[in-house]
Amino acid sequence: MKRIISNSLVVLFALWFYQSGVKPPKETADEFQINAFAHLPVKYEGRKKPVDTMARNLLTILSGKQSVRNADGEKIEATQWLLDNIAGTPKAMDYKVIRIENLDVLTSLGLEETKRFRYSYREILPGLGKLDAASRSAFSKEDRDRDLYDRQVIKLANKLYMFQNVLGSFEDPSGIPGEQLMAAAQRYMQLENYSIPLIIPPSAENGRWRPLMSSLLTAHPAMSGMAHDHELTVDPLAIHMGVMLAAYREGSVDVFNQQLMEFGATIQEENPAAFEKISFEVFYNRFNAFMKSAQLYLLVFVLSCFGWLFRKEGLLSAARTLLIVAFIPHTFAIIARVFLSGYPPVTNLYSSAIFIGWGAVAAGILLELGFRKKAGGIGNLVGGIAGFSTLLIAYFLAGDGDTMEQMRAVLDTRFWLATHVITVTLGYMATFVAGTIGVFYIISGLFTRRLDAETEDGMFRMLYGTTCFALLLSFVGTVLGGLWADDSWGRFWGWDPKENGALLIVIWNSIMLHAKYGGMVKHRGLAVMAVFGNVVTAWSWFGVNQLGVGLHSYGFTDSASFWLVMFCLSQAVICGMGMISPGRWKSGATQ
Amino acid sequence: MNKLFDFFQSLKLTVWLLSLSMVLVFAGTLAQVDKGIWNVMDQYFRCYIAMIDLPVFFPRNLNIPAIQIPFPGGFLIGWLLTINLIAVHSQTFKVLAKGGRRVAGLIALLIGILVVVGVMFGWGTAPVAATEDDAFWRVFLRLGRGTLAAIVLYAACVLLYRQRAGMVLLHGGILFLLIGEFMTAIFAVEATMTIKEGETVNFLDRSQQLELSFTETSNPDYDTVTVIPARLLKDGAVVEADALPFDVKVHRFMHNSTRPQPLQNVPDQFKADYPQYEGFGSRLYVAETREVSGTSGTRNAQAVDVELLDSDTGESLGRYILSLWMYPNFVNRSWDMPTNFTVDGKNYTAYFRFGREYAKAPSGNPYSIQLLDFVHEKYEGTQMPKDFASKILLVNEGDGVERELRIWMNNPLRYARRTFYQSGYLPDDGGTVLQVVRNDTWMIPYLACMIVFVGMAAQFIQSFNRYLRRGA
Repeated sequence: MKRIISNSLVVLFALWFYQSGVKPPKETADEFQINAFAHLPVKYEGRKKPVDTMARNLLTILSGKQSVRNADGEKIEATQWLLDNIAGTPKAMDYKVIRIENLDVLTSLGLEETKRFRYSYREILPGLGKLDAASRSAFSKEDRDRDLYDRQVIKLANKLYMFQNVLGSFEDPSGIPGEQLMAAAQRYMQLENYSIPLIIPPSAENGRWRPLMSSLLTAHPAMSGMAHDHELTVDPLAIHMGVMLAAYREGSVDVFNQQLMEFGATIQEENPAAFEKISFEVFYNRFNAFMKSAQLYLLVFVLSCFGWLFRKEGLLSAARTLLIVAFIPHTFAIIARVFLSGYPPVTNLYSSAIFIGWGAVAAGILLELGFRKKAGGIGNLVGGIAGFSTLLIAYFLAGDGDTMEQMRAVLDTRFWLATHVITVTLGYMATFVAGTIGVFYIISGLFTRRLDAETEDGMFRMLYGTTCFALLLSFVGTVLGGLWADDSWGRFWGWDPKENGALLIVIWNSIMLHAKYGGMVKHRGLAVMAVFGNVVTAWSWFGVNQLGVGLHSYGFTDSASFWLVMFCLSQAVICGMGMISPGRWKSGATQ
Repeated sequence: MNKLFDFFQSLKLTVWLLSLSMVLVFAGTLAQVDKGIWNVMDQYFRCYIAMIDLPVFFPRNLNIPAIQIPFPGGFLIGWLLTINLIAVHSQTFKVLAKGGRRVAGLIALLIGILVVVGVMFGWGTAPVAATEDDAFWRVFLRLGRGTLAAIVLYAACVLLYRQRAGMVLLHGGILFLLIGEFMTAIFAVEATMTIKEGETVNFLDRSQQLELSFTETSNPDYDTVTVIPARLLKDGAVVEADALPFDVKVHRFMHNSTRPQPLQNVPDQFKADYPQYEGFGSRLYVAETREVSGTSGTRNAQAVDVELLDSDTGESLGRYILSLWMYPNFVNRSWDMPTNFTVDGKNYTAYFRFGREYAKAPSGNPYSIQLLDFVHEKYEGTQMPKDFASKILLVNEGDGVERELRIWMNNPLRYARRTFYQSGYLPDDGGTVLQVVRNDTWMIPYLACMIVFVGMAAQFIQSFNRYLRRGA
């Protein structure tokens, strides 16, 4: 009875936790309908998405966050920030959104170091010329000759160019005098070669997505005089959007809201398909399941630590319930991504982190249910910490922009994404789970008395079983990858770095099993080997990308290298601790 | 002798060999930061003794001396693992069945091997394996055929080895995979086919083998082509060919040459010892240069500096420089610079070019490919490629084949024991570059994958059941 009540409380708490922030702030009729604007479709980076997603991604790229505070310290949603920028309101210049952490870059721009490392466009403006020159000189260097400053300058400059292109695509050419129109038209044509937001959806007259500035240019009064041969049609959607932005700049709420209504109604009438999946994606963004689940997983881990160490069955049971409850939105969000992007769950580094986390939590739940009597709580611990850390990694990986990007031609095959990528990712997951069990085995044995004979036996069985699965999954996944290569360019095995990384995991898992079958290691030895498996897996998951070679390398960040090295060192330390003779273990010589 | 046998039978050796292979793979991966994949493959994996460059393990800015450490290479580790595997299994995994069961097992094994061979050589598959539909079913069916073979073999193993069936099968699969890779390393051949839109091509470019070709064009009905393979083009050699009224004296074989540039743009100090060439060499500057590394994404443009000598008198008929730069397929059809000259009243056209292999089906009949259309799709509003596709017409009159087919990313054409992949395109999307691979053992990984999977899964399910029964 007591158990039922406490579990119900846990579920209620989780429900409250997940619903918070889903509902947008209330807007009255005499305010700008920003939430409705956030629901407009836009095609950017090859994918149709709500303005909400684009705004969040742009803001994340610039500042690392999905919202921003204005001068008064109020929290502003990403869409409003974007609207301020594309409409060109004066306060757009004052949002402190551009993150610059490198001190040399700051000095060269003439900026002071501040606590948040975020600067407004107005603050950066005087140094822009210098930044441009520095990035050009850095860019002309060979990749290997670039130092940290060069790389940071290039990174910052690229972000700013990208953002300027976005803003340029919303430019209003109606104020340009007639004699400068040709120059503007040329500039727009050049801009269209870059990746810019296409905010005007296909309509009855025009079947393509198009950017605002070019569509408005054709509506320019002076343009009609220039068109000799072909008739220029004025695009009503572009006019609505142009007037809407101008109204926002002028602060006329009524005009903005009315134009927004008409813009939406026209699309609804002529091309209702443009609105497909849009509301759902906004909901997905606001739901923010991955971050919320990450926090609950951490809670699961903490609860389980206490519950397990002090043998509190009630705490363990609550943690078990919470783990399962947090797992449901996690699963839902992965399915939502599949639905929204139309691709299988793993397409890039970000989604691999989410999926590894998902698999690890699932494994944790299974282990917990399977070993509840022998080693209750271990599954919670594994699921909690693995779910939390992988989702945290995913959070940091999201800084590169849209996490549901389109796939390049060679990678665009749903069959292989669904088979090879999923299997090999699950292989990574299983190796990590085995490694995590190994870490708990060593830490608890060395520092606590909790690793009694029964628990020890249970943990060893978990470890061994997981390793078998890891070998099976990573082997099949790796070979399937080779088959993909064979099917795509006729080479089953090309010794590509990413292939090699996966191969190392396969070899390491088979070394572990052969060492066990050959009697070279017993329980403790296998645990130490499993921890080293973490290093091997982390290297092939992230380290390979740092090499910057190979067809598979899709992610690169400098700080990632640092954390990778730190992680490997920590695992090495734990391996070392595992090799301390069992006589000195607090749990005694169980093995 | 017994000691040696014990040595090869121990699982310790397995663990050691696997550990060595990990070091090798790790080093071979790091080495790819500096070197091209083909160099790394030869230096680390496809050899018996690998030479590991010490600096690969350190950040490049530390300037570690370039010491090379000898290490067991890929082939050596592979062979030792093979011997080890067979030795362990011959000792530990004796055939357990006797009498009728053994006979049944051997028969099942025979059937299994037959299925494997059948799958390998594509019994029951279409001679022109085009891919109009999705990759899904094609690969799925291949894996299905592999599974069929695996299940028959598993049945044989159960009859012969009882509860050790899974273990034996999975290691057999690994062995099969190793053999397949060894065969690929030695026998697979890669070539390319470059076709402009509308053009029909009936030959493959073997980019690893070069040749010097002379085409005599005086006869209106046919051309006479004489080729000299690159291996004969040694510095100082004089090559005589019966079909040619002249001999070819090789002054220099260049492993890489500079991009041709107008002679008047070249500084005087370079021009000082530049030979007096006829043809393009009289107007363009082409000189020997350092070989490129693989990571640069470029390739060597070999060249030959030759002099033609009259076969009878030995008198010089002119000195020419012929570079791959002048061969249209090397520069994606942007340039075409044939060297033309006349000897004994006959007109000759010369190229230094990729080895040319005329396309022939296994029946001996020639075939050709016409490029009807090339499509390069991008995602709307970006420069990101969405799809490359070549619509082609495959014609083999002798075998009565005339089919319109589509080759696109991840969807190759399999024909005449070769596979044609979409690999690149000509400037302005004016044509296509197909990668053409001949690898007769390409099905082995599909089979081996499923054999290992079935074996491993059976083994794990078996241990899991045993564990459950003990627990209950």
